Amino acid sequence: MPETASPSRANVVLRSALPSVLAIVTSLVICFVAVALLRGGVAVAVDAFLAMTWGAIGDVPKLVDGASIAVLLRPWGESATKAALLTLTGLSVAVAFRVGLFNIGAQGQLMVGALAAAVVGAGLELPPFVHVPLCLVAAGAAGALYALGPAILKLRRGVHEVISTIMLNWVAVSLVENWLVPGPLRAQVGGGNSVAGTAQIHESAELPRLVGEVSRLNAGIVLAVGAALVLWLWLSRFVGGYEWRAVGLGPEAARAAGIDVSGAVVRAMVTSGALAGLAGAVLVLGTEQRYPATLGAPYGFDGIAMALIGNGHPLGVLATSVLFGGLRAGGTRMQLFGVHKSFPELIQGLALLLVAARLIWIRLVDRLAPPRGGGP
Amino acid sequence: MSGLVLSLLDTVLDAAPALIFAAVGATLSERAGVVNVGVEGMMRAGAFAAAAAALVMPTPLGVVVGVAAGALVGALHGGLCIFARSDQVVSGMAINLVMLALGQFLLEAVFSSPSGTPPITQLPRWLGHSPLTWLAVVTPLVVHGLVERTAWGLRLRAVGEKPEAVAAMGVRVSRLRLGAVMASGALAGLGGAHLSTAVLDRFEHHMPAGLGFMAVAAMVFGRWTPLGAALAALFFAFGNALRLSLASSFPGLVEVVPQGVLLALPYALTLLVLTLQRPGLARAPAALGRPYDPELR
Repeated sequence: MPETASPSRANVVLRSALPSVLAIVTSLVICFVAVALLRGGVAVAVDAFLAMTWGAIGDVPKLVDGASIAVLLRPWGESATKAALLTLTGLSVAVAFRVGLFNIGAQGQLMVGALAAAVVGAGLELPPFVHVPLCLVAAGAAGALYALGPAILKLRRGVHEVISTIMLNWVAVSLVENWLVPGPLRAQVGGGNSVAGTAQIHESAELPRLVGEVSRLNAGIVLAVGAALVLWLWLSRFVGGYEWRAVGLGPEAARAAGIDVSGAVVRAMVTSGALAGLAGAVLVLGTEQRYPATLGAPYGFDGIAMALIGNGHPLGVLATSVLFGGLRAGGTRMQLFGVHKSFPELIQGLALLLVAARLIWIRLVDRLAPPRGGGP
Repeated sequence: MSGLVLSLLDTVLDAAPALIFAAVGATLSERAGVVNVGVEGMMRAGAFAAAAAALVMPTPLGVVVGVAAGALVGALHGGLCIFARSDQVVSGMAINLVMLALGQFLLEAVFSSPSGTPPITQLPRWLGHSPLTWLAVVTPLVVHGLVERTAWGLRLRAVGEKPEAVAAMGVRVSRLRLGAVMASGALAGLGGAHLSTAVLDRFEHHMPAGLGFMAVAAMVFGRWTPLGAALAALFFAFGNALRLSLASSFPGLVEVVPQGVLLALPYALTLLVLTLQRPGLARAPAALGRPYDPELR
């Protein structure tokens, strides 16, 4: 695309975010129409979408009617818990994208991270201010190590990372959920009771709750927002981050400019794995309190969706994750209107499909509002 | 011992066809230059459509509907990649996610059951196995013949290596590629239909549970050739079947080598083979993943 007379910074940001925003809005509209058609009328669809909204951001009408602040805090807890997981897995995939790698292995890295957190959380007894960070470090390290393999295979042996990470996902499922968790690491319970999953973590390893017992709001979301901000600063303000972006845009040109391409790829992939591992830790330390019999949800896939809809930008990923975290949490409220709880995932998938057609949106935007300074 | 071999063969003949159809299909798309990581979603579409259709029509017709559903999803992927010039891996993953969510949504919305469709009549059995099993034996050979021995196959391979040259011959690159991706989707749909009409007698909510990704791996393992992909698929299915039969025949073995380790073995082995082979040997088609833009010719 020809370089035009430098448009304002806000304009650039808007133009890069617009395709994602349009895709999300379009998918929401399509799903709204679908509910209206399937469930007998626009009024029902409006009620269902309102229920989802209040389920996501808190029941504002009830608060206005004089209910306690808990009607806000409880939904926030659910939304934030989901948003934290989406953000961390989304950042994981987005970081790998930055150096031109497609990390389908976030799921496997999350699994080994979750397991590491569960083992350290249950196996040691420490004061909370040491225990929680130690669990996080263990999970991040496990995820990072698990991502290191595909990076080295890619650089040394030319094995495509999509294939190696798919394989490693299967290896992780087999070893973790079919051997370690039901076997050697299974919780020992007295009295003939049996519990699926690993032993429960000590209280000192649980992520601290932010507002007491009233809501499940925990420190996971703080961690996720922090990770997004740090990553954003790294990519936009530091030489190392600039090098990652250069490698992603064109490894040959980056090499010619004297950048250590292999080093950048390894560092980015290790960061990606660490973020996925952290997501596993947040899941175990914040929600599950153990490694359950099976994680049972495609968190790695969700991360791919968040990274792509967020356009690979840390803050874009954060915004997308907060939105969909809310929709996921609020979506359960739509069941009252006969809309099924898998509905938010459908919205998410549709939005991703529409984002995939990015070029169409860009053309549309260019036609409706031609870039200033003489467009095509 | 012969009992073990026979039960092993039985398991492979039941489990392998889905993987073989999908992996062989994937070679068609990729040889034409379109990356297809959406196989998982296409299989899911086929599995769901076949089972849902078989509730109201004879099961063989349901399988045809499953194939058509796979082709339709293939057309969506092809359309996004070829005409909207989307990133092909992104489009494929988007299709996987949409199908994952759509399948669950339709189960809940149409059948009011999150776990699966009501049971259907299974496909009849010929010589102890579904007709699709025998079709899976023939399909790799037929596709191999098509790709290696026909004018269409020559064009297909050329469009994946050097689309400019094919365009110069007066062949429409976009149409050829779309056809290849749709054929890939149709075969993936057939694989999915095999799962829901022959292996089981219904669509279950987790189908195809990662088989589509395994098919993509089998295709790479098989070096982008129909016969290679089919053999790799067979290898995966055999590895799994061996684990199951060994576990049932020699219960003591499981105590020495845990199930999960055996389960991980085929994948670890694949990774090892990919690591050890010379990097230049398994070359992907040259134009793989590159959208064709006639204006840049």
